[in-house]
Amino acid sequence: MNGTLQRMRNIGISAHIDSGKTTLTERILYYCKKIHRIHEVKGKEGGGATMDYMELERERGITITSATTNVTWNEHSINIIDTPGHVDFTIEVERSLRVLDGAILVLCSVGGVQSQTLTVDKQLKRYNVPAIAFVNKLDRIGANPFKVKDQINDKLGRRAALLQVPVGLEDKFQGLVDLIRMKAYYFDGPNGELVREEEIPPELEDLAWQYREELLDAVSLFSDEVTEAILEDRVTEEMLLRAIRKGTISREFTPVLMGSAYRNKGVQLLLDAVVNYLPDPSEVENIALDLDREEKPVILKADPTLPCVSYAFKLEEGPYGQLTYIRIYQGSLRKGDELYNTRSKQKFKVGRVVRMHADHMEDIEGAVAGDIAALFGVDCASGDTICSPGLNYAMTSIYVPEPVISLAIEASDKLSADRLAKALNRFTKEDPTFRVYIDPESKQTIIQGMGELHLDVYVERMKREYRVEVVTGRPQVAYREAITARADFDYTHKKQTGGAGQFGRVIGYIEPFDGQYEFVNEVKGGHIPREFIPSCDKGFQAMLKKGQLIGSPIIGLRVVLTDGQFHPVDSSDIAFQMAAQGAFKQAYKKARPQILEPIMKVVVETPSEFSGNVFGSLNQRRGIIVSSIEDGSYSRIEAEVPLSEMFGYSTILRSMTQGKAEFTMEFLKYSRLPASLAEQLMEEHRQKLEAGDRK
Amino acid sequence: MVKKILSARSPIKTLEKNLRGGFGPGHLGVFASRKGVGKTACLVQIALDRLFEDKPVIHVSYASRVDYIISWYEELFRKLASRENLKSEMEVHDRVVRNRVILNFRQEGMKTEQVLKSMEALLGPGNFAARTIIVDGFNFYLPCAEDLAQFKKFAVDRQLEFWFSCSLKGEDPLFDDQGLPFVLKDYLSSLDIIITLEHDNGRVRLNLVKDHDQISSKKLRLELDPQTLLLTRI
Repeated sequence: MNGTLQRMRNIGISAHIDSGKTTLTERILYYCKKIHRIHEVKGKEGGGATMDYMELERERGITITSATTNVTWNEHSINIIDTPGHVDFTIEVERSLRVLDGAILVLCSVGGVQSQTLTVDKQLKRYNVPAIAFVNKLDRIGANPFKVKDQINDKLGRRAALLQVPVGLEDKFQGLVDLIRMKAYYFDGPNGELVREEEIPPELEDLAWQYREELLDAVSLFSDEVTEAILEDRVTEEMLLRAIRKGTISREFTPVLMGSAYRNKGVQLLLDAVVNYLPDPSEVENIALDLDREEKPVILKADPTLPCVSYAFKLEEGPYGQLTYIRIYQGSLRKGDELYNTRSKQKFKVGRVVRMHADHMEDIEGAVAGDIAALFGVDCASGDTICSPGLNYAMTSIYVPEPVISLAIEASDKLSADRLAKALNRFTKEDPTFRVYIDPESKQTIIQGMGELHLDVYVERMKREYRVEVVTGRPQVAYREAITARADFDYTHKKQTGGAGQFGRVIGYIEPFDGQYEFVNEVKGGHIPREFIPSCDKGFQAMLKKGQLIGSPIIGLRVVLTDGQFHPVDSSDIAFQMAAQGAFKQAYKKARPQILEPIMKVVVETPSEFSGNVFGSLNQRRGIIVSSIEDGSYSRIEAEVPLSEMFGYSTILRSMTQGKAEFTMEFLKYSRLPASLAEQLMEEHRQKLEAGDRK
Repeated sequence: MVKKILSARSPIKTLEKNLRGGFGPGHLGVFASRKGVGKTACLVQIALDRLFEDKPVIHVSYASRVDYIISWYEELFRKLASRENLKSEMEVHDRVVRNRVILNFRQEGMKTEQVLKSMEALLGPGNFAARTIIVDGFNFYLPCAEDLAQFKKFAVDRQLEFWFSCSLKGEDPLFDDQGLPFVLKDYLSSLDIIITLEHDNGRVRLNLVKDHDQISSKKLRLELDPQTLLLTRI
């Protein structure tokens, strides 16, 4: 069984959106004999590549959801998780990264390290995923893998060295020189399926030796064996493979491979590298939290004989019901086994177990630790941990960012309202950053997410997958309220006219706080009986949901309860809750509350000739330009811009730069909204409330 | 208001008072010393002095990474704030950040023309009303008379003040008998102010060696505290 584990790889392909990732995946499937015909990504021949199987993705030429597929290469079983490249869908990437053991970082040989590459690289580092780099598109004009390798070192801060040098570049790109074997490789046949080994062309000898030297230098930094062998001039192929593998797995080294997926060159050598350098599941340490022992960390063992621990990382609605993608970390599962969902505390029986290809599946009997499989008909949410009964573990929860934008939606007709509910239910289960709630005042359905495009994609999916036409409102920014000063309260809630009375008095203060919310009890001498302290806390918390300025949630507040009073008969849970609410109302306005707005970190990459326009456009949007880094003819401009000003920016940026610039943005912080805009929002809020009253 | 007080007490104002022609729009100044003596600290304190008065600054860097430059500002801001017992520190900090843009030119041999173009883009279409430009890491050891003339013209045309750092290297002596760094002698026509930094018994003293048309070494009543890297009056 151990042999099986060592011949298993779970990898992802992470990349910038246009670096040719889908084409590369397509070629990998082809060479591993998973598909029998090569399709091209949108625009080339209309079919659409196999991996971005959703219609919407086909239309846009991008991959949004992560499909997994299993291939075999050199008797190794490789699960490939296709990860999306766009920053708006990072939750998808992050969830995929959670289950990967290694990754191929694809870079464009012309564009090199771009802003999204940095985002993706950061994610790989956050989840400690070992990676090999693949410099794609060597056939393109301006291709320069040497420069890209330098950028991987400088911009990504990785220690990287080339494992290959190209034979020719751009339209003269023919093959690759392998710096470990010191041989040249060419890719013959109509689809490059025949790999031919030759001697290194004499004109490339010097270059090859020069870069081999650089490789040996880099490797010797973490391999004593290689260092010694260099001195004695007896470096062997096996020795180098071993050292590179060790360096890659410990993330001290990033091997750089190259080729052109589109021209069918270099992909097989990349697959060899995946097998040679990326870890098998037993070489990666995974930790679960034992929920029965105060979340004590437990190291999982990729041993199929132990009880099962697995992680549901993706859900998908297929024509045959819900499909749950799981990664098994420990033990094994088989059809008919009983398993336990530690979040919902439900037991269930394993029905069909399948192994996924991009759009078709293969039934299997079961799966073992290290593997990725999919289950049918399991009711769970993504991020759930599924164990053998008797275990109560949770895989460390993945980082879920708070949504920053919301949109009111409505089904265009009554008939589709049901389908809309179904769609929303599905999406919220699939994507923790996508949220839905009903606004109690307007009774509108509000969806929330990480950016304009993020929500756009879901609105389109509603149309396509659920045939729901929705009418959308204007995107709304998720504002917050926060106090800026300390304010005291002393409030008595009293209702003692007939029947059971109510009495509660609370004294204390509220003040700004670094975290979300804190409640401190300093009441002495039993002035408020202990059982009513949580009631006070509850009363205050109820008030945080809606601030008095514009009805937004309140953050960064500490309540300190110092004293109070009770009545032996009339005090109750509800009385103290009411007292706390009254106290809050009393103190809030005095504590100089202000409105906070989400500020995004925006990175624009543009040809330098347009940087003036970009500076201007960011400035107009109340943006702070933090820096501009010029490197050759490109500028990378970093700015902090309020989210509310960024709607429609992609269109404006495109038209301003002839489509040559691109930008990414992510949530950075909440910051004070300027007074004039705050006034305006408060006025709108007042009018809304008045309109509500009139109704 | 807080900032006005802070700024009035600033050693930078002492420095400016010591200059015969003062310092302002159209002028180019240089801090020169060997590496690691404190040029960048001086430049950043000039920038902070302007930023405390809500005057925007462009910081041009030829070498350092942006986060490294930002950490210089953060560090010196924190120390100044604590030395001057600054109230509403966060608010001042926010305004400092808002009024500062870092332009970083990574490539070796970036043309001055291109650097000025980027500055122009920021000042013009970018609507960033900087009056002070800090230039760190400019290589005076490459022939640059023409570049400095371009900077000078730009400074005059756009009414900007420029402060450079000049990293001195090579064998001693680095200075002539008037205290002028040899490397700067060819560029005197473009440079209005030259200040050198020298180690003196564990302290870093500032010498004014070119003050507009006057060339003579004059010890300024300023030093750089080697611990905090803050400029202080003596």
